[in-house]
Amino acid sequence: MKFIPPVCPEPETGPQYFRSPEAMANSAQLQEWAEREFPAGASELTVAESRRDFMKLMSASFMLAGFGLTGCRRPTEHIYPFGKQPEGYIHGIAQHFATAMPTRTGAIPLLAKSSDGRPTKVEPNPLHPDQAGTDQFAQASVLGLYDPDRAQHFKKDGKIAKRVEALDALALISKSAAANGGRGLAIIAESNSSPTRARLQAAISAKFPNSVWANYDAVDSTIHTQAASLVSGKQVTHYFKFAAAKRILSLDCDFLGSEDEMYRYTRDFAKGRKISKPDSAQGFELISRLYTVESLMTLTGFSADHRVRVAPSQVAAVAAQLAAEVLKQGSSSASLNTVALAAGAKVDAKWISECAKDLVAHKGAALVVAGRGQPLAVHVLAHAMNEVLGAFGKTIELHDAPKSAANLAAAVGAETVVVLGANPAYTASETWNQIAKTAKTVVHLGSHEDETGKGASWHLPAAHYLESWGDARTSDGTVVAIQPLIAPLFAGLTESEVLGHLLGNPTANSYALTRETFPSLTGGALDEEKWKKFLHDGLLEGSKANAVSGSFNWTAVSTAISLATAAPAPSKDKLEVVFHRDASVDDGRYSNNGWLQELPDPITKLVWDNAVLISRETATQLGLKNGDVIAISANGRTVEGGIWIQPGMADFTLGLALGYGRKWGRIASFEDKSVGFNAYPLRTGTAGFITGASAKTTGRTHPFICTQDHWTLHGRPVVREANVDQFLKQPDFAKHMDLDGHTEFLAKNPDGSIKNIYEHPYKANPELASKSHQWGMVVDLNACTGCSACVIACQSENNIPIVGKDQVSKGREMHWMRIDRYYAADPKKKPQGGTVDAFLSNATGSQGNPNTVNLVERDELQATKKWIDDPQVVTQPMMCQHCESAPCESVCPVNATAHDDEGLNVMAYNRCVGTRYCANNCAWKVRRFNFFDFNKRPIGGGKMADTFFKLDIGLYKGPAGVRPGDEVDIISMARNPDVTVRMRGVMEKCTFCQQRIEGAKISQKVKAGASNDVVVKEGAIQTACQQACPAGAITFGNILDPNSAVSKLKQQDRNYSVLGFLDNKPRTTYLARIRNLNPLMPDAKIWTVEEYRSISDPHFMAEPAAEGAKKGVKH
Amino acid sequence: MSDIFPKWTNKLPAMVIVGGMLVGGVVTAGVTYYLTPKYARVGYTPVQPVAFSHAIHADQLGLDCRYCHNGVEKSWYSNVPAASTCMNCHNQVLKDDPKLALVRESAATGKPIPWVQIHKTPDFVYFNHSVHVNRGVSCVHCHGPVNKMDEVRHSKSLGMSFCLECHRDPAAKIRPNDQVFNLDWQAPEGFAKSGGAKLVKDWNVHPGESCSVCHR
Repeated sequence: MKFIPPVCPEPETGPQYFRSPEAMANSAQLQEWAEREFPAGASELTVAESRRDFMKLMSASFMLAGFGLTGCRRPTEHIYPFGKQPEGYIHGIAQHFATAMPTRTGAIPLLAKSSDGRPTKVEPNPLHPDQAGTDQFAQASVLGLYDPDRAQHFKKDGKIAKRVEALDALALISKSAAANGGRGLAIIAESNSSPTRARLQAAISAKFPNSVWANYDAVDSTIHTQAASLVSGKQVTHYFKFAAAKRILSLDCDFLGSEDEMYRYTRDFAKGRKISKPDSAQGFELISRLYTVESLMTLTGFSADHRVRVAPSQVAAVAAQLAAEVLKQGSSSASLNTVALAAGAKVDAKWISECAKDLVAHKGAALVVAGRGQPLAVHVLAHAMNEVLGAFGKTIELHDAPKSAANLAAAVGAETVVVLGANPAYTASETWNQIAKTAKTVVHLGSHEDETGKGASWHLPAAHYLESWGDARTSDGTVVAIQPLIAPLFAGLTESEVLGHLLGNPTANSYALTRETFPSLTGGALDEEKWKKFLHDGLLEGSKANAVSGSFNWTAVSTAISLATAAPAPSKDKLEVVFHRDASVDDGRYSNNGWLQELPDPITKLVWDNAVLISRETATQLGLKNGDVIAISANGRTVEGGIWIQPGMADFTLGLALGYGRKWGRIASFEDKSVGFNAYPLRTGTAGFITGASAKTTGRTHPFICTQDHWTLHGRPVVREANVDQFLKQPDFAKHMDLDGHTEFLAKNPDGSIKNIYEHPYKANPELASKSHQWGMVVDLNACTGCSACVIACQSENNIPIVGKDQVSKGREMHWMRIDRYYAADPKKKPQGGTVDAFLSNATGSQGNPNTVNLVERDELQATKKWIDDPQVVTQPMMCQHCESAPCESVCPVNATAHDDEGLNVMAYNRCVGTRYCANNCAWKVRRFNFFDFNKRPIGGGKMADTFFKLDIGLYKGPAGVRPGDEVDIISMARNPDVTVRMRGVMEKCTFCQQRIEGAKISQKVKAGASNDVVVKEGAIQTACQQACPAGAITFGNILDPNSAVSKLKQQDRNYSVLGFLDNKPRTTYLARIRNLNPLMPDAKIWTVEEYRSISDPHFMAEPAAEGAKKGVKH
Repeated sequence: MSDIFPKWTNKLPAMVIVGGMLVGGVVTAGVTYYLTPKYARVGYTPVQPVAFSHAIHADQLGLDCRYCHNGVEKSWYSNVPAASTCMNCHNQVLKDDPKLALVRESAATGKPIPWVQIHKTPDFVYFNHSVHVNRGVSCVHCHGPVNKMDEVRHSKSLGMSFCLECHRDPAAKIRPNDQVFNLDWQAPEGFAKSGGAKLVKDWNVHPGESCSVCHR
């Protein structure tokens, strides 16, 4: 009989954890997810096939089998050695080159791995002073290099042209521009920190004084520079130092998520949150405290201790109140007239005053940051607070910034338009249409033949950064090198080369151009040794920017504030719409990247989609259910998209992710259907948000795929947390939560030890365990922000395929690690007001109330569970725990999963026969099954192959489904040669990056030679997730070495095992999360350890009533 | 009624059983022999595009293995030398020999010589040359006496049991590091018990028998 796992009902009292609002609703679908490892249909072929189709397939299979059997020997294979041996190259040894990935505001310093001449992985550059990880975009950029849809040809008016013709066209533009000083020439470029670009830009404006240079970013961060320059009176930009800040206030600034430089901010912020020991003397000073005022639920909101949600237009009012309070309490001599702006803010006055008090109490160690999408007034208010709090020079530095360029509209009217990288036809179609109307020649340099490229007179394929020479400055000012690991696959040009050609240099190449810039960075003539070191290290030592001091310009602040006006609060008919940078596709530049599309959004956990994010209250008032498609109209423009109810959203605010709804690309427009919808048409300029929008339902629904409820843990306690004061009182609280503290209820052996039904690999035979290495991992939940860079790093390192939206909907995603997101909220917070009353009155029969009309068919949860609106959030990376007594191993009938001598739970793929017993028996739900040959077959299906059999070529068609050759060839180049590419029918899971472990062991043994020095040194192995993690939350190492970082962390009081009561002894353990709530704050939901425990302890729970649950009720 | 089944049918069950056992035995024996690398690979001696003789180069002339296979101590892969390596000598020796036309052409044009691969582990096996040759495992153990071969022949099965034989008992095959590339070295009588076991102990040799050692 099928085992139905016990339902652990939520406790009647105290706070509750929930994975998603859907889980709260306890829908039938979720029950199904919970009960089956693989949901209905995941294990079956559901595509209807006629008998005839079946016969065709079978005969095809037999024919192929016949071919196979004709040769019993392996086919003859050849070895092709070099004709001339390249110097310093040894086949099979990966080479690493320092390079950097340019971003809008800086660069991510990288060490790129080249396997046999192919770049296959990027890692953070350990020599860079940032010492940070990378973000998900950098990790996925490797796949971007091998995107089969990249622009492969030079094109003139859409027809393939020769490269020389394109270069001649550039020369012609240069010649005619030289004749008239560049009149009618406009260059549109994206923001960039490259010194070479700056030099060429200056050369262009010197040579063509009448030309226009416009900087255009679809996601615009220039407001930061604008504000910093305004308040200091110098041309400067900000440099936040979160590690030095004990108290942080974020005004709609998602510095841990969608702001540029998120990877560095995350590392910096995590430094302030890590705990080495429970030092009671420090009290609430133990870790930093984060206050956020924000409109969307963001990663910053996830990490916030105190969070208040307000509509984006109301942030200014809250900022004004806070600034007034900080000025008052900080006894500042300056005065600001914030009254007008502050009017109408609906935030508890005590919230404002206590927050200000806390900030003022930490003068010199406080920091206020304002978000990219907020207007100038909010930024200057933030800086005014920073000034009073003594932040300048301590937690915020000012660095010289280049002068800002003209904006996109400046290019209107130009005859010749050169677009470098940007895609304004998609991201700013209105302005672009004006530009295109008058432009006679449009030259577009782009990685893809995108919207702008398709309409351009000349389209030039752009070289990827891994194919280019260049330079950049990271946000601290350090100059970093960009060097190619491979010659341009499609003969693409770099930005600097196009500029070089425009300057009349017919042989411009990016290497020479970058080298020419170098002397100006070092001073003096070109020093060959310095240049070599620059390329080797990937950075120019000592090029860090110096902090600029400026006198704070209170007058400018006052002026900026007086120019701002208080915005009316939004309502049901006047909604506000926030346009946010997407965690998967950025502004749309990565929308053809399969890894990123399939990465569950860190907040919503949606894949292959964007959604109209909406609060529960707003959806209810508009009469909408999750998934309803609505039409949003503002300023005469309309956009349609499905809604997704997101806890923590400000009411009457809609969140729209940019970058979706593309009409091209095999991923971006999967099977000719756009992924998501395009939000750009609704936006005016590059505004962060708009007001006064209206929404109405279209009557359609959109199927969203959210992975959070896949792989559920049946509501058992897996995250453990406490507030600082609770933690200091009882530092080892995490060890006593859940059944871990109640071993009296567990079955015992006669000798009193806990009875474990699973075999321990070494207990009976200790000689089987290695005396040199035993591997273990610790994940610090206090550092993890949930950004998901690790997920992509794992995918890149371990050759994990993407499976497509359709397959994810069946629970077949292949990610070896996932980031679980838990909401915690307190149901004691009484539901009242708004729709709740309306619902209740409706339920009691008072029909006729206009508010209730739509509510009749809405479920009760949506209307009444107000307490889920302001959740606390915890994120938890979850991957194979490498249990010592592993439940998966004992059920494998073919011994395909077994323990090795170093404590790893290993998978032998070629032994696996695909019974999937192991996945069913895994309590952590971390095993993944290859239902199809995702690597070889085209994901999705339904297209007809023009072959003899005339069959669909999708996943379901077995050997008849063949992926287009170019796609297989090029995507295969991204594969890690050290990891097996798994085929259909085998189980797989996290291996602790076994290939890296074996690699380190082998190189240590090679070094040892004829000696016994074979133990791998501490630090020689980093797992892919650990290396990429911007927060430094993951630590891996040898637990036999008491001095290793991982051993020390495992000694911490906060260390606990997930589902530790099963006594499976996982090798991956977690450090409990510590919050830093201010008890004086009105919204401080400081739960006691007992309350947190009440969420988790089955003894607090009522007897499950469900019929099927009876069997499993006694654990 | 007795005529329906003639008398010999009484023996039928025994005949079926014996016959079945015979056929089964032959099939089993056939499968274990013919469908394993012992049959399928051992003895494989393809014709190479250039008639290179290891016997002449390694044995008669005494070239070290590592002169040509120079990656073997550093990489998992033991490389086949580039044509330019051959030309180091052959631009002097036999420099106009027609048998070397392909080598000269390759060195001049960079067009690779299509050598036929002989030894190959399956893709799911991650064999590493460097760790073996740096820790007392000689080429000869897996490749046979290549220095005596005019044409290279697949001489050992290289199946999983072949690997495990040594991984389970490293003392039997290990040798001092300075003899690894001396393919003619013969272990002194009883070396496995004394010298071999001492090397295993002194060098802390634990070759590992877990899946993860070779399969990733």
